[in-house]
Amino acid sequence: MFGRYRGTFRSESGEILIEVEEGDGLLTYRRRCGEDKFERILVTRMAEVIINPVEPVNLPKDITNFLMIEFPPLMIEPGVSSTVYLKFPVEFGVFVESARDIEVADIFAPTTQKYTLYGTPTRGLIARWYGSEVYSEIPEVDLYREGVMEFTITNTYREWVEVSRVVFESVDMKIYYGDFVASTATMRILGPNLAETDFIDAPPRPGMVKSIELYTARKISALNRGYLMEWGLS
Amino acid sequence: MFNVTAILEMPLGAGGITIWSLLYFTLILVIGVLIARLVSINVRRALMDRLPVNERELLTKLVYYGIAIVALLAALPQLNVDLSGLLVAGGIAGIVIGFASQSVISNLISGLFLMFERPIRIGDNINVSDVTGSVEDIRILSTVIKTFDGIYIRIPNEKVFTSNITNYVHNVARRFSYQIGIRYQDDADLAIRIAKDVIEKHPFALRNPSPSVFVDNLGDNGVNLTVFIWAPARNWWEVRTDLLWKIKRAFEENGIQIPFPQRTVWFPERIEVEQRSAVEEK
Repeated sequence: MFGRYRGTFRSESGEILIEVEEGDGLLTYRRRCGEDKFERILVTRMAEVIINPVEPVNLPKDITNFLMIEFPPLMIEPGVSSTVYLKFPVEFGVFVESARDIEVADIFAPTTQKYTLYGTPTRGLIARWYGSEVYSEIPEVDLYREGVMEFTITNTYREWVEVSRVVFESVDMKIYYGDFVASTATMRILGPNLAETDFIDAPPRPGMVKSIELYTARKISALNRGYLMEWGLS
Repeated sequence: MFNVTAILEMPLGAGGITIWSLLYFTLILVIGVLIARLVSINVRRALMDRLPVNERELLTKLVYYGIAIVALLAALPQLNVDLSGLLVAGGIAGIVIGFASQSVISNLISGLFLMFERPIRIGDNINVSDVTGSVEDIRILSTVIKTFDGIYIRIPNEKVFTSNITNYVHNVARRFSYQIGIRYQDDADLAIRIAKDVIEKHPFALRNPSPSVFVDNLGDNGVNLTVFIWAPARNWWEVRTDLLWKIKRAFEENGIQIPFPQRTVWFPERIEVEQRSAVEEK
């Protein structure tokens, strides 16, 4: 289902159906995901449709750029760096591309969403919330529902620190897909309640395809500067 | 011998103006203009995201010419221009203009404070001076609000600045509540569990701060539950309207009903109540 399609096509997997049909000289993009349906007429000579996983912060509507993953508490020794695996939600981005431009046509997901507050109501931020277990190896995931995040935590603080959540700015997120959807992220603990998080532009396994990011498609210029978690790590 | 001091102090014409005083005049003017330019550039930069371009440019020019005029007034005595008469005339004119434009100046200053303090921003839902709506524009002299009925209201900035402002979306999240009554014979624990399940399924009913559902009081007609839910400040209304109906439907699906007002009436003497079916009556 993920990939690049030219002209008419039909791709179906479980509860998801995506197709571009031709009728009366017009191309129609049609998508079904469970009960949710979406349709657009494409006025184009030869549409090129790209379907790939995108930053999971857009549904049911775009209200934040932040993603929080909560997991069972980890106690991290001072000076230690460790890599674990977390799961994150997958959202489908459908792009239409021409020689000159690329545009987002549709975003959907077969999963439900939940949002949370990180910090205080006065100074905090709203983030998409997702709960995950902590895995020592790449876990089994449903390709169209969950992705795997290779997550490297480094404790640069002089004391043991407990971590049970991580907040990312999705603008920095790099997503790859192949047998599974994947992303690589880091967390550098600076204090008992302070950490820097960022994404690395590299897949956890070689040979994976890089997704087109929403921010690239929407032509929004953004600096990759990571995110500073200031309101606690657990 | 060539005497520079003598040349500089040599009077030019009959007014007693020397080359020195001419140089001083020019120097003060140049420094004044430079300061005016520097300040106006910084004012423009500071107001870049806070004011529309036309108002920003107007304010920048006011600052520039204001400083330039002060520099000119400071430099004029070097040319032996007596400012006392000008000052008296200016003072009287200033008092007159000041009285005439008191409210304008007051609105202008309030507008500047509003722009720097930023208690409200364009797009915010606010209540000020008994007007509720979303902020359409914050101008130098007034703030424009569009009420939720779509009506345009212009409020002078002085009034905005001196009034209590309620900004409903200033914080990222806010709490709202429901009072839901259930019958005395319904299971309140089950009702709480159902309400929590419905809230949990709503994407914008925030996970943290967690929602709270509890028996608040035992009312005249039923058991009153209170529900507290946190939602993103900009989406709270849609969450509020969406969830109440979903909770009501979930209650009904589980046999929990919202009680009607009821009264138990006691008769001192037993009365006969005859029940007849509709078919019999026919």
